[in-house]
Amino acid sequence: MILLEDVTKVYEGGIVALRDVNLDVQKGEFVFLVGPSGSGKSTLIRLMLREEGTTRGNIWVAGKDITNMPGWKVPNLRRSMGTVFQDFKLLPNRTVSENVAFALEVLGRPKTVINRQVAQVLELVGLATKGDRYPLQLSGGEQQRVSVARAFVNRPPILLADEPTGNLDPATSVGIMRILDRINRTGTTVLMATHDHAIVDAMRRRVVQLERGRVVRDQSRGRYESFRSDEDEPQAKKAAPPVEQPSVQPPPASEDLEPAAVPEPEPST
Amino acid sequence: MSRAAYLVLQAFTSLRRNALVVLAAILAVFVSLTLAFGALVVNELFQVNTTRWQEGVHVVVFMKDDVSQAAQLDLQREIQSWDEVEETSYCDKTCAWLEFKEMFADQPALLEETDASILPASVRIKLTDVNYYRDITFRLLDNSAVRKTVTAGDRFDQLSNISNILNALGLSLAILLGAASVVLIANTIRMAIYARRDEVSIMKLVGASNWFIRIPFLLEGMLQGFVGAALAVAAVWAGHSFLAGLEPEDFLIRLSVGYDFLVRWGVLILLFGAVAGIVGSGLGLRRFLKV
Repeated sequence: MILLEDVTKVYEGGIVALRDVNLDVQKGEFVFLVGPSGSGKSTLIRLMLREEGTTRGNIWVAGKDITNMPGWKVPNLRRSMGTVFQDFKLLPNRTVSENVAFALEVLGRPKTVINRQVAQVLELVGLATKGDRYPLQLSGGEQQRVSVARAFVNRPPILLADEPTGNLDPATSVGIMRILDRINRTGTTVLMATHDHAIVDAMRRRVVQLERGRVVRDQSRGRYESFRSDEDEPQAKKAAPPVEQPSVQPPPASEDLEPAAVPEPEPST
Repeated sequence: MSRAAYLVLQAFTSLRRNALVVLAAILAVFVSLTLAFGALVVNELFQVNTTRWQEGVHVVVFMKDDVSQAAQLDLQREIQSWDEVEETSYCDKTCAWLEFKEMFADQPALLEETDASILPASVRIKLTDVNYYRDITFRLLDNSAVRKTVTAGDRFDQLSNISNILNALGLSLAILLGAASVVLIANTIRMAIYARRDEVSIMKLVGASNWFIRIPFLLEGMLQGFVGAALAVAAVWAGHSFLAGLEPEDFLIRLSVGYDFLVRWGVLILLFGAVAGIVGSGLGLRRFLKV
């Protein structure tokens, strides 16, 4: 579903955000993208959304090579991907229903279809009774559920989530993860960048770890930390906003991390 | 709701939300197009008046008294046959005396002392183009029947020089102000997009096509330009009507340019306003819609 081949991204000023990244995500997979701030998670998501081009290497999304995709085809690409962000990105002057409907309106769907699909997806995220509220009248968790609803209302084959629980407390995060899990079980490929140890450890899905722009671990049914790096900052979640500062962060214990070299630590729960 | 209706609704919503900025843009377009249209009208007024002054007799050929009237009429016929000449008329000594009396009716003493016989007969020439006056004068210079050739040609030269300068000034002013209104609309649209940047970024995120994002802004710009232009046309029209009301009875000078001119340019100004709005918002959008 998503294929990256030797992808390198160098920003202006020579800052290397990604270095020779290879990644193959199959249809219907749930993948956690983990790593400290500035390791390149957000850049990876921006590349998949074609908000930026690669410096080297190729990216395929849903069978299409998006590396040199012309600008006018990009909207079509984005319709095949739902996106959820840490800061929700909701429009404060529109109601919950209108925010979700917005994603369909811009695609020119008929009103009847929009109404039906919005109602369905609000039901899915548990906000069926709050369609007439405005985002600021909702809790953070509810706002993020609106955002997930908007991302999924078009039934895209891929869902990209960049720190979706970054602004939420653990209990609320669990609620969001349940929804993402349900969406995944409908066959949607989910790729989620996160700092949240608890969630990654609880879900036990494929984990791809980035350090300084490299993939240092790609493990099915993994945990947040690789087995030997127990000394890594255990409270890293919500440590920093997702700002790209690839050259300045102190990468913890990166020298002893080997890709996929870690055995399954214990039977999954 | 159809797609088109949605886009139009978006444009109006945005106009309402940014009422103050929109008002500023409309006023700016109104002022600059009023001045531009006004400059065109003033220019046209000048043209109308100089053309009027240029009509009538261009060259007067006074005859020698010792030439027979038959010879004088022959000369008139000859002049009439020239290509540059549109019309001639012959004024004999009696006609000259009548004109003289009319001209100096308020000076009886002068009339008393003037001997009618010293007034010469003349041929009055109207040219097809006033600029031929030098050729005609030159050709008649050596004619033995001609006493003197009088022309107002050099005055026409001066007049058309001034007219050309005013013309150029008026047109460049109009062009400059027209360009200013494009830039002002571009600025307004940029502000409107800035005010809606979150919305635009979400639209891009959920895969709205670029045209879908652009069209409401283009409509918005077009509407601003059109409304500003409509106000400008109304203002100039009103100003012109007022001026035309002041036109003196004797038609010595004309203060109206005619409805043909007003309608033709009014429509062009309206079109320009709308196009300027579209171009302006296109310019304003360019930077914001990079994928």
